[in-house]
Amino acid sequence: MLRKLTFLAVSAVIAFGTLSFDLQKEKENPGDRLVGIWEPSNGRSRIKVDRIGNKYYGRVVWLIEANDADGNPRTDINNPNPDLRNVPLRGFRMCKDFVYQGDDTWSEGTLYDPNNGSTYSGTIKMRDDNTLDMRGYIGVEAIGRTDVWKRLKMPSKKKK
Amino acid sequence: MLRNLLKLTTAIIVLTSTPIFAQTETESTDSYDDIDWSLYDDLGFEDESIKRYANAKIEGLSPAKLISFGYDFQSPYSITAGDMTLVDGSTIAGGEALQVNSTAGIRAGFNLPVVSQTNLVWQMGANYWNTSYNYAEAPTSADNPLHQTLSEHGLRTSGINTTVYKPLDEEQFILFQGSADMSGTYGSSLMPAKYLKYSAAVLWGKRPTEKKQWAVGVARTYRVGELNYIPVILYNKTSANNKWGTEALFPARVHVRRTINPRNMVFLGYELQGQSFRMYENENLGFDIRDEDLEIRRGEIRVRAIYEFSLKNFIWMSVQAGYRINYRYDVDRLVSGPDIYRAFGLLDSPEYAQLNALTNPFYVNVSVNLVSP
Repeated sequence: MLRKLTFLAVSAVIAFGTLSFDLQKEKENPGDRLVGIWEPSNGRSRIKVDRIGNKYYGRVVWLIEANDADGNPRTDINNPNPDLRNVPLRGFRMCKDFVYQGDDTWSEGTLYDPNNGSTYSGTIKMRDDNTLDMRGYIGVEAIGRTDVWKRLKMPSKKKK
Repeated sequence: MLRNLLKLTTAIIVLTSTPIFAQTETESTDSYDDIDWSLYDDLGFEDESIKRYANAKIEGLSPAKLISFGYDFQSPYSITAGDMTLVDGSTIAGGEALQVNSTAGIRAGFNLPVVSQTNLVWQMGANYWNTSYNYAEAPTSADNPLHQTLSEHGLRTSGINTTVYKPLDEEQFILFQGSADMSGTYGSSLMPAKYLKYSAAVLWGKRPTEKKQWAVGVARTYRVGELNYIPVILYNKTSANNKWGTEALFPARVHVRRTINPRNMVFLGYELQGQSFRMYENENLGFDIRDEDLEIRRGEIRVRAIYEFSLKNFIWMSVQAGYRINYRYDVDRLVSGPDIYRAFGLLDSPEYAQLNALTNPFYVNVSVNLVSP
């Protein structure tokens, strides 16, 4: 009897804690809808977005061409800073410092394009739960380009 | 026992409630080597109705110019104007070759995205080209109406254009380009809209890899001066090491690209440039030739080397130098309709009202560009 009572109490507390945590998280960090894995329109990479503090960052977790012509992991060879050209592209944080502004919009961040080593100002607009308009621009938003990112399913495998 | 249960419950409450009050972070703190990157290999879209589409660009392609402002300069050459046939069948005799010290003008344009979706890209743009003719000696009415018109008014082109890229699936796409240009000897006020020239191209193609795309199609074009309908081939390719590439829309332009780095590129190739220019401003010519019916069919081949590089961030400079080869600089009289289609001489068509000969100069073109992110 006591064992059953203990089990029920523990289950109830865990369920309450989890639910409270999720609700609280959603309430405190509504911008966490951005957290997840996203695929840019060119399909050449996948970006995992996470929150650190109150800012959102995206890093490359998959590349269609993970290795260069010599079979070595691709690095950020186009980075304007020569010291950073040996940094692996996979794992590279290409979206930085986005802050949730409400109204499904994240801004004040930057987007980095490893294809040319350029960094752009960025604004993210969530069109729906599974679609982002990622706008990179120069100075003013009117001069820029919008790329559409699609949400991917979270991986289910576990590291062995 | 009951005490133990209370302790356990309290501990669980504390442990499970802690995250509620903490500023949690969602990023893993695993180091690079600890992350199992293979987790991200096979992921489907959360919304399973979403499809992947062929991207409009390939890797390594030169950056698209959003805004461009440049200056074009041709070194000295000569124009020999042929006899001009008038409406009544009489002719104005062509003159001696006149020396042109320089031909120069502004070339400006912009091209901005209107829609940039995974399954549709639509851009709109506008351009303005001005060409002034600087003769060694100012042409007189006795030289020929062509020289006088060029000397007094020069040639201008103002136009709008649009590009639509529609991917059909992960590999196939359709590309449409269209433009409406007002080209002629007009000044501060434009010519009537009936003198607009319409060009268009539609292509179907494939993007089999990240570094190659090709397409075939047809175009209505004035690139060799007069109206033509021609097949076109698009071919863009980047080498495995990203150092070399080809950017071609044959026959309009073909370039081989050498990428020194993504901010420094050199091109070798050619471009066909041309348009049909209405001789609209003609009231001062002093000839009864009804010049408003006349159009200069200007077509030229520019064999060239181009160096494009980033001045700072997205501000790029383009410096090109080459040889301007005259293909056609002849005059048509359009009295039987809005245009003449000769199909490169395969169709029966009117004689030119005037045939002109130009020698070929060197030229340079310098522009500053704001390129696309």
